[in-house]
Amino acid sequence: MSLSKEDAVEKARKDLAQRLNIDAGAIKESVEDADFPDMALGAAEDDEMSGQMITSGWRIRLDANGKNYEYRADKNQVRLYKYKGRNYRI
Amino acid sequence: MNRNNFLIHLALAIVLILIAAFAGQLNKWRKDWKSHVPRVVPAADKKRASTSTDIALAESKLNARPEVLVKFKPGVPLDAIEEITSRFNDRVEDRIENDPGLESIDDLDNADPAETVAQYSALPEVEYAEPNFEIELDAVETALPPIHPSDPRFEDQWALANSGQRGGKQGADISAMHAWLTTTGSDKVVVAVLDSGVDYTHEDLAPNMWKRPANIEAYHDDELGTIDDEDGYNAIDNAGDPMDENGHGTHCAGIIGAEGGNNVGITGVNWKVRIMPLKFMNAGGFGTTKDAIEAINYVIDRKKAGVNVRIISASWGGTQRSRALQEVIQQAYENDILFVAAAGNSSVNNDRSPHYPSSYPNVLSVAALDRHDQLAKFSNYGLKSVAIAAPGVDILSTWLGNAYEEKSGTSMATPVVAGVAALIMAENPRISVDQLKKRLLASTDPIIALKGKIATGGRVNAAKALQ
Repeated sequence: MSLSKEDAVEKARKDLAQRLNIDAGAIKESVEDADFPDMALGAAEDDEMSGQMITSGWRIRLDANGKNYEYRADKNQVRLYKYKGRNYRI
Repeated sequence: MNRNNFLIHLALAIVLILIAAFAGQLNKWRKDWKSHVPRVVPAADKKRASTSTDIALAESKLNARPEVLVKFKPGVPLDAIEEITSRFNDRVEDRIENDPGLESIDDLDNADPAETVAQYSALPEVEYAEPNFEIELDAVETALPPIHPSDPRFEDQWALANSGQRGGKQGADISAMHAWLTTTGSDKVVVAVLDSGVDYTHEDLAPNMWKRPANIEAYHDDELGTIDDEDGYNAIDNAGDPMDENGHGTHCAGIIGAEGGNNVGITGVNWKVRIMPLKFMNAGGFGTTKDAIEAINYVIDRKKAGVNVRIISASWGGTQRSRALQEVIQQAYENDILFVAAAGNSSVNNDRSPHYPSSYPNVLSVAALDRHDQLAKFSNYGLKSVAIAAPGVDILSTWLGNAYEEKSGTSMATPVVAGVAALIMAENPRISVDQLKKRLLASTDPIIALKGKIATGGRVNAAKALQ
C-alpha cells in the first residue's frame, strides 16, 4: 500500500497520541519534504539493514506537552526518529 | 669542382641521407614502443604532447588541467595565496573545498612542472607541492574508436561515457566505451545482486538473468529444507521467487548488466552477464541481518555446487555491527568470492564511524562521485575503510515494470564496481579474489577530490582494469 503525505501524518499523530496517552487533537504538526540518506529514512531499527539510496519523503515534526518529536515517512513507511534514543518503524 | 671532389661530396650526401633516414626510423620505433606502454606523465607534458589523432581523446580529457597541486600551511590566508601565485605568474585553477589549503595551480608560463613544484616547495607558507600527474591513455584507449552501444538512452548514462552532458565534466566516467574494445562481458560470469530482489521480467534484464543450470540440484538447507531456486533465492520467505517489490535491486542489477546493444533502454557495464537475484530486503527497501546472512550462505553453497558466482554486489548497510554477518562474509572471501559494498550515505568518515558491511575486512567499500568528479555530498568516505569510488549520482537504470529511473546513492556506485569486476572476470576467468581486488584498486583514475579521502584516491576505470 502506498502512503500519501496525509496518511503518513495521520499515522504519526495517532502513534504519538498512543505513546503519550493524550488526545491526538492536542498535537501540533509541521511537515516538510525531505531527502533521507537511505531506505530506512536514516532511522533504522536495531538489526535492520537498508538500501543505500537517497530516498525522498516527508519530515513530520509533532509538538505535544511542550516537547518535539520527529517522524520520517515515505510512500512505504513511517518511522519515529530517536524516541528515547531509539528508532521505531510504525 | 673536379671529378674527385664531386664524388666525395656525393658520397657524403648519401651518408647523411642514410643517417637521417635511420634516425627517423629509430624515432618511429621508439614511438611505436611507447604507444604500447602506459606511462605516468605530468599534465603539463600532456599539453605539449603530439596532436596526432591517436591521442585526441587524451588531449580532450586533459586540456585545461592544472599543473601542480600545492598544499598551503594552515592559517595562510587566501589573499596571501593569491599574492604568491600572482608573483609566480600562476593562477589558482581550483580550490579543493574539502581539504583547506590545497590549491590546484595553473602555471601560465607553462614551465616544467618540476621547476614549479620546487618553486612552491621552497616557500615557508607551503606544506607540500607536487605535479598533477595523469595516467596516459594507452594504445588500446587511443588507437581504436570507442564502442558506442545502440541502446537509445545510452546518452543519459554519464557514468559510462561522460561527454559533459547536463553540465558534467567531460571524461569523468569509468571509460566503459574503451573497456568494451576488450570485452563486453560474458554469460559465463555470475554476479549475485544481494538486495530487494530483481524484476527478472524487465525487458532489458531478462536475457541476462541467471537460471539454475539443469545439472545443479535445487538448493537444500538442513534447516530450511529444499527450495526450488530456478530463478534465484528469496531469503525473506525462504522461497525461490526473488521478484523485486521495491525497485532498488532492479536498479542495481541494470547498472551491472542491463543487456547492451539491443536497441532497448540502457546498457549495463556488462552487455552480457548472468545476474543472480537474491532477495532479503522487502518492499520498503530494508531487511534483517539474519536474512542477509542466509542469502550470502546461499551464494557460497551455489559456488560450491559449481555455479561460477564470484562477485556479490551489496548496495545496503547499517551502523549495527554483527559478528555473524562478518563471519559469513569472511566465508565468502575464503571461497574466492569478492564482496563489494556501499560505503553509506551519511557524509561521515567511516574510519571513525563504521558502516557495515562495508567496514568489515575483505569487503571492497565504494564511495560515490557526481558527474563533476566530486565526492557526492552524501557519500561516506574513509582513508582506511573506503577503497574506491564510482559514479553514484543521477544514475539511470532499470526499474520495476519495464521502466527506467535516475537514482543516487552509494547503492548506485557499488554495482558499477561490481560490474567492472565482472568484466575483468570475463577476460580472466581464473583470477583469484585477491588478484581481482588488486587489479581494481591498481587501475583507478586519481581524482583530486578523493585525495586523502579514500584509500586509492581514485575512480574505478574499466578500460585500465582490463589491461
